[in-house]
Amino acid sequence: MTNSILENIRRSLGRTTQISSPQGTLLSLRPTIYEPRLPESADAEIARFLDEIKKLSGVGQKLSPTDIDSALKKLIEDQNIRKATVWETPHLTQLGIAEILNSLGVDLVSPNASKHDMALCDLGITEADYLLPETGTLVLRSSTEKPRAVSLLPRVHLAIVRPEMLRADMHQVFEEAKASNYLVFITGPSRTADIELTVTLGVHGPKNLYVWMMDK
Amino acid sequence: MSETPTYIGFEEYSEHVPVSIPSAVQQATNRFVSGRAARVAELPQWEELRQIGSDIRLHTIENMDVYLAQLEEKVIAAGGHVHWAETAEDANRIVLQLAKEHNVKTAVKSKSMATEEIGLNHALEHAGIQAIETDLGEYIIQLAGTGPSHIIVPAVHLKKEEVAAIFSEKLDMNAPTDPIELARIAREVLREKFLTAEMGITGGNFLVAETGTLVMVTNEGNGRMCSTMPDLHVAVVGIDKVIPDWESLTVFLKLLARSATGQKLSTYTQFITGPRREEGEFGPKEFHLVLLDNARSNVLKDPIGREVFKCIRCGACANVCPVYKNVGGFAYGSFISGPIGAILSPQMLGTQAARELPYASTLCGACADVCPVKIPIPKLLLHLRRRVAQGDAFALPTISAPIHATATLASLALAQNWIYRLGAHLLPILNPFFRKNNWLSGLPYPISRWTKVRPLPPFSASFRNWWKNVPLKKRNLRDD
Repeated sequence: MTNSILENIRRSLGRTTQISSPQGTLLSLRPTIYEPRLPESADAEIARFLDEIKKLSGVGQKLSPTDIDSALKKLIEDQNIRKATVWETPHLTQLGIAEILNSLGVDLVSPNASKHDMALCDLGITEADYLLPETGTLVLRSSTEKPRAVSLLPRVHLAIVRPEMLRADMHQVFEEAKASNYLVFITGPSRTADIELTVTLGVHGPKNLYVWMMDK
Repeated sequence: MSETPTYIGFEEYSEHVPVSIPSAVQQATNRFVSGRAARVAELPQWEELRQIGSDIRLHTIENMDVYLAQLEEKVIAAGGHVHWAETAEDANRIVLQLAKEHNVKTAVKSKSMATEEIGLNHALEHAGIQAIETDLGEYIIQLAGTGPSHIIVPAVHLKKEEVAAIFSEKLDMNAPTDPIELARIAREVLREKFLTAEMGITGGNFLVAETGTLVMVTNEGNGRMCSTMPDLHVAVVGIDKVIPDWESLTVFLKLLARSATGQKLSTYTQFITGPRREEGEFGPKEFHLVLLDNARSNVLKDPIGREVFKCIRCGACANVCPVYKNVGGFAYGSFISGPIGAILSPQMLGTQAARELPYASTLCGACADVCPVKIPIPKLLLHLRRRVAQGDAFALPTISAPIHATATLASLALAQNWIYRLGAHLLPILNPFFRKNNWLSGLPYPISRWTKVRPLPPFSASFRNWWKNVPLKKRNLRDD
């Protein structure tokens, strides 16, 4: 099938024939077009990551698995959480998140429930697939166990993450994840400055972002 | 707006700028300018990244056909659909057809310059489909029934009291004037729309040919809602948004948010390759990409002008532009304002319709200094002025014979020191012979066209002589 837009582009570019690979090298320096960021020590990377989360008005902290109960209890009181939805991943299951929430009297909604039910949740708990320390970014893929809506619809988003998810630069993330059908970078809570440039959090996405970095 | 306009006024508007606009716009632009400067200072490779960004964009422009063909193949392989829209009407027709096939009554939209360009909202409403803008600023101006005054903060010209009045009237409520409360109201009203709309319409920041991926950058989360909640996601994107691969993408993601809002990254960056694969993951059942030409493939003919397609829509050029800061976005009369609008609109809408825009600049060059992909905006402005003056051909510069002769004489005089000195001595003596007050008179047409409107200041002694004779004390111009 001939495509008249592509034909017109070719004419405008002065091509006489159709070509299937680009002319000219994209960049002479390939495959590394510029020096990506190099990682610092593991501790420094964690500190940098959590510091960036704070700068973005999120709450970032290190946490030992034994302190999960008390940390969740405090979060649920602080944020007045009644309903929650949780990614059904091995790590979150192993930490017993759902059981703890149950014992604290929080209603659990299946992460595969309808969007209307999910929208009633106050809290969504996810992991992350990758973390970028330079920007304080969570990188999430999606699947049935890890639905997109959990980090989007509830007003509070908690990500429980581990140091091995850290990548120095987005290059590595893309190398590993570009075949995914969906990826999202989350860099802080939802924000706008559309009315008189007043920074307002949680305009459509979560208003509060918590990130707990689990100690080994 | 989908019909080609015959005139886009700048002069007329710029003489009637509402008083509130310059101060509101300057408040926004100043904040973005200082935010950008801070982020740029943190990144030692900034200049290198700009150069690489520029190189990648030029390469992509010169191979746009190849990358678009690859993109189409990959989107289809990922289970998406690709539609090619030659004109704005074609694009609107495609979206309307999809809406009808899916029985759509309400569509939620995230901010998109491409859909502004084609006037999609109007077309949808005409067909009885409600199209709701969901970016807070866009939602406000949609309720108000006006247009955007800034590419990043479209409602920046409105005070919170005005926003409250708009909400009170249109949402039938008593809205408070607190910006945070107003945002909360919008969240509630729009949340319901996200959950019930049958179609989500978005634009896109980049299209990655390597994998057929749509990249969307937003801060509020409305872009995520529009591309996640409804079963049908339609993205309308200009063909100029294609980039080769993910490695290139790293460069543009590092440049974009830093240049636009002074963030390291915007809050949400989504990478969407086709529709959802598993029902439980959320996301649309169907993904449609409408590739919009609408004159872009013609603009490529001009090897100088087409550099405009390097643009990644950050708005940094507008934020530093002394003209934009004093007139605001409305003055540019089209979907994109500021210096980039001044070089884009004349090429896409015709240099005669947008003939005033290339002149809406002081050529100070601040825009080119901040452009993350090094678009030589002043050079393009001059190029387009030439095209406007010559009735729009891509002809090489031509200089009329008298100007050419004068320039030749002048360059001879500057090259031969003695001719210059002779002139500098003779001209002050000649003053009384041909000057009447400060005006040259009695010169024949066409020189008189110039001399009737331009006064001639008296020739005085050469600077060199003046400098020699000034006492040392007066030469010291500093206050210390």
